[in-house]
Amino acid sequence: MRLLLLLAAPVIAQQLVILPPAAELTGPEARQQLIAEGTAGDHQEDWTCATEWSSSDPKVATVDEHGLVRPAGNGEARITARAKGLEANIVVRVKDAHAPFTWSFRNHVIPVMTKMGCNQGACHGALAGKNGFKLTLRGYDPEVDFATLTRQSTGRRVSLADPTASLILLKPSFTIPHGGGKRFAKDSLEYRVIEEWIAAGAPPPTPADAEIRGLEVFPAAATLAPGAEQQLVVRAKYSDGHMDDVTRWVKFSSSNEGVATVDDWGHVKMNGSGEAAVTLWYSSRVLYSRLSVPFPNQISGEAYERFPRHNFIDDLVLAKLKSLHIAPSKIADDATFLRRAYLDAAGILPTSEEVENFLADKSPDKRAKAVERLLERDEFVDYWAYKWSDLLLVSSRRLNSTAMWAFYDWIRESVKENKPWNKFANEIFLSSGSTRQNGALNYYVLHKDPIDLAENATQAFLGQRITCARCHNHPLEKWTQTQYYEMANLFARVGVKNGAAAGDNVVFAKTSGDVLHPRLARPLPPTPLDGQSVPLDSPEDRRVAFAKWLTGQKNAMFSRTIVNRVWANFMGRGLVDPVDDMRATNPASNEELLAALTKDFIENGYDVQRLIRTIMNSSVYQLSSEANATNQSDDIYYSKHIIRRLSAEVILDAMSQVTGAPTAFQGYPAGTRALQLPDTQVKSEFLVSFGRPARNVCDAAERSSDPSIGQALHVINGDTLNKKLSAPEGTIALFLKLGLSDRRILEYMFLSAFSRYPSESERETLTAALEKAKLSKGTEEARRDAHRQALEDMVWAMLTSKEFLFNH
Amino acid sequence: MFRLDADRPVEFCDGLRRRDFLHAGSLATLGLSLTDWFGLRALGATDGSRAVNCILLMLIGGPSQLDTFDMKPNAPVEIRGPYKPIKTNVPGIEISENFPRTAKHADKFSLIRSVYHTAAAVHDTGHQMMQTGRLFQGGIEHPHMGCVLTKLKGPKGDVPAHVLLPRPIGNTGGNMPHGQTAGYLGKAFDPFVLNADPSDPNFKVPDLLPPDYLTALRVDRRRNWREMVDKSVSEFETSQDARLLDSTFHQAYTLMSSQKAREAFQLHHEPEPVREKYGLNRFGQSCLLARRLIEAGVRFVTVNMFETVFDEITWDIHGSKPFSPISCYRDLVGPMFDMAYASLLEELAERGLLSNTMVMATGEFGRTPKINPAGGRDHWPQCWTMLMGGGPIKGGTVVGSSDDIAAAPKERPVTPAQVAATVYRGLGIDLQIELPGAQGRPVPLVDRGVEPIRELFS
Repeated sequence: MRLLLLLAAPVIAQQLVILPPAAELTGPEARQQLIAEGTAGDHQEDWTCATEWSSSDPKVATVDEHGLVRPAGNGEARITARAKGLEANIVVRVKDAHAPFTWSFRNHVIPVMTKMGCNQGACHGALAGKNGFKLTLRGYDPEVDFATLTRQSTGRRVSLADPTASLILLKPSFTIPHGGGKRFAKDSLEYRVIEEWIAAGAPPPTPADAEIRGLEVFPAAATLAPGAEQQLVVRAKYSDGHMDDVTRWVKFSSSNEGVATVDDWGHVKMNGSGEAAVTLWYSSRVLYSRLSVPFPNQISGEAYERFPRHNFIDDLVLAKLKSLHIAPSKIADDATFLRRAYLDAAGILPTSEEVENFLADKSPDKRAKAVERLLERDEFVDYWAYKWSDLLLVSSRRLNSTAMWAFYDWIRESVKENKPWNKFANEIFLSSGSTRQNGALNYYVLHKDPIDLAENATQAFLGQRITCARCHNHPLEKWTQTQYYEMANLFARVGVKNGAAAGDNVVFAKTSGDVLHPRLARPLPPTPLDGQSVPLDSPEDRRVAFAKWLTGQKNAMFSRTIVNRVWANFMGRGLVDPVDDMRATNPASNEELLAALTKDFIENGYDVQRLIRTIMNSSVYQLSSEANATNQSDDIYYSKHIIRRLSAEVILDAMSQVTGAPTAFQGYPAGTRALQLPDTQVKSEFLVSFGRPARNVCDAAERSSDPSIGQALHVINGDTLNKKLSAPEGTIALFLKLGLSDRRILEYMFLSAFSRYPSESERETLTAALEKAKLSKGTEEARRDAHRQALEDMVWAMLTSKEFLFNH
Repeated sequence: MFRLDADRPVEFCDGLRRRDFLHAGSLATLGLSLTDWFGLRALGATDGSRAVNCILLMLIGGPSQLDTFDMKPNAPVEIRGPYKPIKTNVPGIEISENFPRTAKHADKFSLIRSVYHTAAAVHDTGHQMMQTGRLFQGGIEHPHMGCVLTKLKGPKGDVPAHVLLPRPIGNTGGNMPHGQTAGYLGKAFDPFVLNADPSDPNFKVPDLLPPDYLTALRVDRRRNWREMVDKSVSEFETSQDARLLDSTFHQAYTLMSSQKAREAFQLHHEPEPVREKYGLNRFGQSCLLARRLIEAGVRFVTVNMFETVFDEITWDIHGSKPFSPISCYRDLVGPMFDMAYASLLEELAERGLLSNTMVMATGEFGRTPKINPAGGRDHWPQCWTMLMGGGPIKGGTVVGSSDDIAAAPKERPVTPAQVAATVYRGLGIDLQIELPGAQGRPVPLVDRGVEPIRELFS
């Protein structure tokens, strides 16, 4: 081992860079922490503390032994880092080094108070404040906070005459008792910021203050060794062009503490293998750094080279697997592929005949052809219409039957004609008129007020949960309360009135009406999230502006969301998980792949079928679910297929299909499949028990696929499956009438339930079991009954087995 | 035709007795989860019968401290609200007039009047924290206290270790609820969820018994054949969900075959006056069922008083639709709680079960001290009161206190984490242990520095 290392050492490529790659210090208080990021072989190392730092001109900028740069005079200096025999340089530009300087309330005092926790929900940021002192949650309203600090409490909070006697210094430094304990020391920078701000006359926030425009994080991504530590540096950019190192006042958290943990200062420790996003929040801006530790596997390059690549999905998944040292599983066999494809694309099992034909087919492109045939099927339309009905909450709970059918029929028609996803959304947001003639408009019958509309539209089509921002800036996300009410105001002029008949409504654009911002008590210009405003007095239907923005090519969020939903349908897990939580701080497990799929989707006209075809034809989709030595623990990088329980409706339909005994749904014609129901209010103990969503809230988690004791009890003792097995018109009864042999019946059942032939040993043991169950004496009727019951029991065993209940 | 619920053992043609036959399946083929299960069962068997149990009453919606157990009769009218305090059987302790029966049992429970949490003032955070002791952050799903107990001690006999009545908490706004499952411990330790309304006249555990047309012999044959069929596909062995499926079947068969388990759910075996005493409603009958389940050997019962806060009369008295008015504490919710809670304490005591059964009742937060313009009160996690008694927990005392308007703890603030630590200690669990978290990363049962409420223990 040691010998190997010695031999290997000289060939490990080493490299050193300084982050950020250039720095600007504006003003006497500016600071910039630098990071000496080394690369050793295939991973990075934080060498900052092992580095010798120097400045070419200490009269311009100085650098200490930890890599912290301070301004000394205007001009440029070169900062040099030397470590492990390597050297790197960056240029630091210093401006206004001796200019008069005061701390800004908006850009310094508020961030200090936010980082110190003063205005968090548990303290003075609570709805009712704390002990009579109330700040806005995480400083979302500097003007209000300024008034609170300087005008209330007869000037004791901020004492201009004697800054150090200000309560906002005495309390948090614990000079006098403070319910919230000691937040910072008297010799801290935090104390100094507040003290000097007060000493400067406590200048208020003004509209002329530089506004934050964005964040940068260094390193933005890194591959590290297990146990490694890494300092992050966060820089804010402002509207006046200057930049600040704000690391000290950023709020950090880790998306996966099993992989990485981060402290208050942005110091990360890698605990395990995999990837974690360390998310940053500063002044309602968010960003993340993606840090990973490869798995401890040795994998030959050949494992990747021999992997058959069909399209860009394969390239990008492979690249990720390579970087994490995971080898992909082998490609699944034909029978597994066929069953999987039918279940995922159309929610049905292939018939025994379809299986036999497919297995016998020798053509090399038979998988691609099978995919094409599936896309043509009515069951494909049923399946996706059901899925989008889940998304849009179609149900008779809040829609009467006419309205529900109109809504559902519009969805089904849309799937049938493969309506581009942007057109699908636009038909909801750009139409007016009768909800009976245009079923899409029932969206406005379900969601009546602007608040509900704004929240549902962003959740359904953008995977964004903005609800928190209704009452205050989203505490963990970028959405502000202002943005929320600007967004809600886009829906303020949707009118719904009674139509010609029951269940008919008319949706129209009103010419007046606004949603008021609750605190400002005035309407804000209607503005989509991060989009362009519509003037308040514009006569245009505001929904047009929303629709244009929603489905505009620049809004990648719209496409990312649907692409992720479709991907999750086939792969068992969204690239972003949960599938409808697309917030900025919840990155995809393979960001490059999601970006490429999104780009492809937009470039090809928002074509959902094309996306489905691309996914199904990739080798990644066709991987076996059987793990190899390197990917047993992987369930997020798609190195093997994810095994998952079938959905409630699919299981029920599959049981009907195999037993030849359809489920009767009250009020629906005989033979209606569960996936053809427009409504989740249709009574079915089976569907409820297996996790059918109620369609009350737009949340993918409403559907459950967790096995439970209740489900087991239901298939063991409940009527649903038992009655199907003994149905007089069912498959078993039919086969007995035809006098088929047990062997043949078993083969048929294997083909139709498992989409494969039984193995020789399965044939032997199961036929033997049936044989043993036969009565040796008794009347012919008794013997026939016993035989039929044995067959029922055997099929029961198959239809409750893992191989049946799971898609694998 | 044999029925599984026949009272006498029935001989089968192969000589097995009915009570045994469901256990006679080829157990070895059931896989890892079953091994776990038996390991746990063995653990359970060594556990003395006096081990402490717990009943957790989740008062969904968040009762107002000022209108229930922390009255402020001297506060201004917009604070103190419409109700008056009454004396209890413990001198010095007063509670709301809405709980006259509970007042007679104040010696059996203690009030903690200074519970608070600092997370967002939405229902879900409190539900998480009161059931797990923690807030869900960093993608970690913490386990419900009852699931921790399941993991550590396993079931006692054939009944599940942890039962959730009558249904899980549903949507209360925002995210779907967390904190009701075993989380990172794995679904094998999830509670058995009843999913039925015990006050329904035809109440029974759904599908607990085979239908008339299915003989016991066939039920057993099916079980064996299922195991035979199931051996074929090897990749399922690594799938947790697939292993869990096996475990759910196994647990289902165990429940079916246990006379004791089946009997525990037979609410109609209770005399009518007893059923009435608890209140002929979902919560009352759930509390009665909780008592029966504890008697049958269930270790932990969680009772959700309501399923949601929308379009249902609950503790969530915002005063406007679709929420509840403050008057419902007098007219509906208050009496419902009073009857069930008082009866539960009374009966547990009569049957000698209170000494080894903790009973706790808590909301997810308190409510705003000041009555809002709609005449209701809004969410207020800064301060509320919870009730705890039974097992090693002292009765008849008050821990902590709130300020003059019940807006914040004045003395002895208590966090949900401390409540969880108290429950664990009451259950006899070593607070120093670590649980196996995601990716094998150990998670301390309670965070360092979190202490149980010592005053509650004698």
